[in-house]
Amino acid sequence: MKELSLEVLGWLGYLERPAVMLQLALIVAAVVLTRQMRRRRWLGRWPLLGYTPLGLGLLAALALLLQKLHQPHGLCALWTWLWLGWYSLQLLSQQLLRWLPQERVHQIETRLLRPGYLVMSALVMINELDNVQDVALAWLIQRAVGMSSSRRKALELMLRYAVVTLGLIAVAIHLGLNTTALIAVAGGLSVGLGFGIKEVFSNFVSGLWLLFEGSVRPGEVLMLDGDPCEVRKLGLRATLLWRDRDNAELLIPNQTFFTEMATTYTASDRMRRSQVSVGAAYHHDPESVIALLEATARQVNRVLPNPAPKALLLSYGDSAINYALRFWIANPMDNVTICSEVNQAIWHAFKREGIEIPFPQQVEYSMVWPPEQHLPNTGNH
Amino acid sequence: MLYLAIATNPDQTIDGEVLEAYRERLGLLESDFKALHPNTRFQFALYPWNRIEAAMQHRTGAGLGPDLLLVNGMTAIRLLEAGLSDPYPMTPEQAMDFEPAELDRLRDRHGRLAGLPVLLNTQLACFNSTRLQQAPRTMGELLTISAKGHPIGLSLNVYELIWSAGSLGALPALNQAATGQMPSKESLNGLERWLAWLQNANTYQRITFYPDQETTDREFQAGRLDWIPCQSTALNRLRSKLGSALAVAPLPSGEGGEASPLNQLRLFALGKNSSGAGRAQALAFANFSITPLSQRNLSLGSQTVLPANRFVGIPTNSSKTLAAMAVAAKQGQQVNTLTKQLHNNLDRVERTQSVINALVFSTQSPVAGGQELVRIFRGQR
Repeated sequence: MKELSLEVLGWLGYLERPAVMLQLALIVAAVVLTRQMRRRRWLGRWPLLGYTPLGLGLLAALALLLQKLHQPHGLCALWTWLWLGWYSLQLLSQQLLRWLPQERVHQIETRLLRPGYLVMSALVMINELDNVQDVALAWLIQRAVGMSSSRRKALELMLRYAVVTLGLIAVAIHLGLNTTALIAVAGGLSVGLGFGIKEVFSNFVSGLWLLFEGSVRPGEVLMLDGDPCEVRKLGLRATLLWRDRDNAELLIPNQTFFTEMATTYTASDRMRRSQVSVGAAYHHDPESVIALLEATARQVNRVLPNPAPKALLLSYGDSAINYALRFWIANPMDNVTICSEVNQAIWHAFKREGIEIPFPQQVEYSMVWPPEQHLPNTGNH
Repeated sequence: MLYLAIATNPDQTIDGEVLEAYRERLGLLESDFKALHPNTRFQFALYPWNRIEAAMQHRTGAGLGPDLLLVNGMTAIRLLEAGLSDPYPMTPEQAMDFEPAELDRLRDRHGRLAGLPVLLNTQLACFNSTRLQQAPRTMGELLTISAKGHPIGLSLNVYELIWSAGSLGALPALNQAATGQMPSKESLNGLERWLAWLQNANTYQRITFYPDQETTDREFQAGRLDWIPCQSTALNRLRSKLGSALAVAPLPSGEGGEASPLNQLRLFALGKNSSGAGRAQALAFANFSITPLSQRNLSLGSQTVLPANRFVGIPTNSSKTLAAMAVAAKQGQQVNTLTKQLHNNLDRVERTQSVINALVFSTQSPVAGGQELVRIFRGQR
């Protein structure tokens, strides 16, 4: 809010400029003179509505004079146009009196035309003082109000629904629908909300809440049943997610995210730590295996150099020492393909360095019946 | 109050993010200046440089023009000739800080200085260091890395593409044509080689042309491109998304010579409407901005611009970015004459752009395109 106030206060600095002060003085003089002329009826029988064109003519002449003298005159010209517009509203009201009763015309003039024109004039003046096109002001207002783009979108949606609802009610009333009947319908709807369309309403509210909270936004990557999915669209009933594994698009009801835990890799950054597991034979030195695994991961293109890949000895298994290789990737959606690349690189590195990946082996042999007659290691089976 | 108008690249949409970036950059100078002039307040507005003349015409006509304009050299000359800015009263001591030839390029036909040089924006190569170990040093290497699967993005905008004219040997023909001469056969071959490269580049699977620099930057930020030419002023914005993955290098050279990036010397020009106090503040701020300490702070603090003061050293050993920018500054000197020719005639830019578009989309051959460009640069219809 402070920045916005400073921006607006900054416009006062233009008052230091003689050219601006001169134009403002001429504008004030023309307006005051016109009012005095009209109040004191300087021109005798001249109609009251005819005084404003005299003032307009005077101001336009002054603007032209400034232009001739190569002096800034844009403010005088702008005020002339705005004043002319205001005067045109008066003339329009006179015309409307032919078709509408005076009270109705007065209502239209005071509630619609004049406030609308004043707002438009204020915007034109602001545009003259500041460059509205560069969104400086819009940006400052957004910052002053502290509204993020997702909240703005949520507010926009809520406003849209509110306007549509109010519009429908207004149309219904205009068509002569009994308000008691409307209340009865609303009562029926609340019963319906309680039973039939509870889920729809719940999803609707969850969707708005998620938009406000900003926790599920298009572009986010969420884990769903162990698969990374990208949020494509946040609708009012359901969220559209895209699953890379099978190129499927999933429509998940909004209340799922509202009521259940969700894992995201993109809340504060898009990095993800990933892991592959591998076993190496017992006779290899664990330190050299760990060093080889880390070096291998560093050579895979899409593995991030920072934070650096880390290999760990996890456990002593039945037939191998189990290692884990942990590394960071930039895009969580690429996890499966990058893991595949890392696994392939490990296979090649192990082959090159002569490191064995053992696997459990079984030896089958037939027994002699009865077991007492079975002689092990004698070759009779 | 000091009112500042800043010209931006028309490719760039002026939004809150851009405004914030300029606010930060200006803040580097502002805070130091306020230590000496505590009562000074700044208000600034951004305009695309191709619309700044019309905007200044309107604002100056109303007496609401800025006190200072931060624009490139040719825009400053156009504003001065249109009577929308005042000549800069540079002292002989200040003139010593700049190359005399450089100052001559900033004078209008009456010898008046259009503004005070403040900083230099350069064009560089930006690449994703997590995917590319090092940037291509030649045009051949650029094609090789694209063939290896690294996606490359180029803007179709002629200002953003002119760097490749130097690398492929098209500059002699363009320079000869711009001075009204008929290019030699050898120069014409260079020009056709450049145009043929541009046409062939679009047929490469991994090289994509985008309509403007903003789209190219956005694709790069999203991780869909590994290498792009970029403006030094965009580095902060790119770094905010890519972090340490963003690396910069000079643009690649080629068989025709060094790359010829179109760098922009930015000047402070004086507005027409300032009050006495406003003009004094504007001059104080502009003069303060070229002191060695301010220039050094501006360059080191932002890491996106180079000092205009020739006696301010750039610590290229401590920063790869500054080193690349220093190389780009040197390379860019090849196109100083051409830039002036292009800027002095906006119709020429538009016609050149049409030829480039036709070439890239293969509706015109390099030979026909070369002849057309010679006609355009020689001022023939």
